[in-house]
Amino acid sequence: MDPKPAGSGGPAPRSMGVKVGILLAVTVIVAIAFVGYVLYARGTFENFQRLTLVADNVEGVTVGMDLTYAGFPIGRVRRLSLGNDGKARIHIRVPESETRWLRTTSVFVMEVPLLGGARLRAYTGNLQDPPLPDRAERAVLRGDANAEIPRMIATVRQALQNVENMTAQDSSLQQSIDNAKAVTARMAGKYGVLGGVLGSEDNARKVIASIDRANALLANLGGVSLKLDAVLAKTDQRLHGAGGIADETQKAVAQANTMLSEVRERLVAVDAILAEAQATGGNVRAASADLGALRAEVEASLRKVSLLIEEINRKWPFERNTKIRLP
Amino acid sequence: MASAGEFLLRPRSWQRLARVAGYATVAALDPSSYGPAARELAVRQIYLTAWRALPGYLAFTALLSVVLIQIADGALRAYGLAPYSLELVLRVLVLELVPLLTVFFVAFRSGAAVAAEIAVMRVTGELEDSAESGSDELRGELVPRVAATALSVFALTTLGGMLALAIAYWSYFYTSRAGFFVFTRVVGTVFDDLELAGLALKFFLFGAVVALIPIASGLEAERGRMKSVPAVVLAGLMKLFLAVSLIEVLVLMVKYL
Repeated sequence: MDPKPAGSGGPAPRSMGVKVGILLAVTVIVAIAFVGYVLYARGTFENFQRLTLVADNVEGVTVGMDLTYAGFPIGRVRRLSLGNDGKARIHIRVPESETRWLRTTSVFVMEVPLLGGARLRAYTGNLQDPPLPDRAERAVLRGDANAEIPRMIATVRQALQNVENMTAQDSSLQQSIDNAKAVTARMAGKYGVLGGVLGSEDNARKVIASIDRANALLANLGGVSLKLDAVLAKTDQRLHGAGGIADETQKAVAQANTMLSEVRERLVAVDAILAEAQATGGNVRAASADLGALRAEVEASLRKVSLLIEEINRKWPFERNTKIRLP
Repeated sequence: MASAGEFLLRPRSWQRLARVAGYATVAALDPSSYGPAARELAVRQIYLTAWRALPGYLAFTALLSVVLIQIADGALRAYGLAPYSLELVLRVLVLELVPLLTVFFVAFRSGAAVAAEIAVMRVTGELEDSAESGSDELRGELVPRVAATALSVFALTTLGGMLALAIAYWSYFYTSRAGFFVFTRVVGTVFDDLELAGLALKFFLFGAVVALIPIASGLEAERGRMKSVPAVVLAGLMKLFLAVSLIEVLVLMVKYL
């Protein structure tokens, strides 16, 4: 190190001037290059498309923040403003080289994590949709972890309050538990669950007595129904058994029927004889009038017998099912 | 014997600083200040302040950058904030630490020497702090030194900042060109209008105080009293430290509050 301060020596050597010149030239070139690089980095040399996102709340969003698509930054927040409608607006500039990721169907989401700044994300379902126009305004969906916390705390506090109410000395839950205790105590008593349900042992005893009586009654009824069965069986036997009433009646009717049929046949025969006699006895004119009366009488009898047969047939329907149903 | 503290707190000493600053500004705007002798002096000053200091300065900047980047990146990664790591490194390192480091490097390396030189010239009567500050001696000594020191600060800060930027890129992406896109975006985010204006203002103020305060302090030495020289040199460095700290804090407040 040169202990001699500047200015105290003789004229500076030529090499010193060259070195200083190089240093200053390099510095100036580096500085200009840096400024150029910064301007390039800030997109000064690129054309932009403007996009405005509308949100209820832009807390956590800062100027210079990125809008990302699939994790890659495609745009940058340039300005935040509050519109006359009370909605916040996020003005974003998207370089023209990145606009192809934004379509008319794109969805924009603002995500506010617990730690770190908010994030703006774009989602495009179909890249074949028409491209997003310049100066488009889109609503942004907000997913806010911080906003969830107060809501969650309020809910938890409500829940804790409810638990506290439930466990308080005079709470309904406590009373229910007390009641349940009384009921189980009764259940553990002489009449068990019945005592618990009916409230006291007295009532339980009455119920049991009633059940006993009902049982006795049922037993009696059983006897009655057995007897009734026997009676019915006998009745059935008498009525429909071999030689029973119905059987006999049926036979008698059948016989009557047969007899009446025979009577009809004879009458028919008599009628025929009479008709013949009327036809042959030409001279016995006087007698034929009598015969006519006789014949009319026979025909009347025949009609009566036929009526009787029909009557019997109607009243005793042999053709139908003769089985008698008993209740 | 006057102590450094006396010189530091004396209001007259700050008044003198303001007067020297005003005079230097006027002289710097006067083309007649830039004669061949002044250029000679300026070249010598830049050579000593910047060129000779450059290897050590760049080596130290590189070391500081590597260490700080490792610490910041490791800590942020542990908290799951790795995406913010590069931005933080650029803000802290390039915008704040490197300029500050440059100022102290220049102040201790040549500021103290300049203050002592001027003080000795005052003591020996070589230089008059005349009230009618038009004396050619003062003009001839002052303007080249102020300009040269300011230029040195600018050159060192620019080169140091670029080195830190390059080391940051290398630390995050090694030699891969794939990181260029991400790196450029972060650079575009960090160096916005406000930051660039703040950086320019800081360059200017740092250069001005580093150049002016040692000279103004040196002028405070009393004629014929050699023992006052160490006191004014020390007081000059303390004043410089105070001024640089204030500027840094004020710029930070303007930027972030």
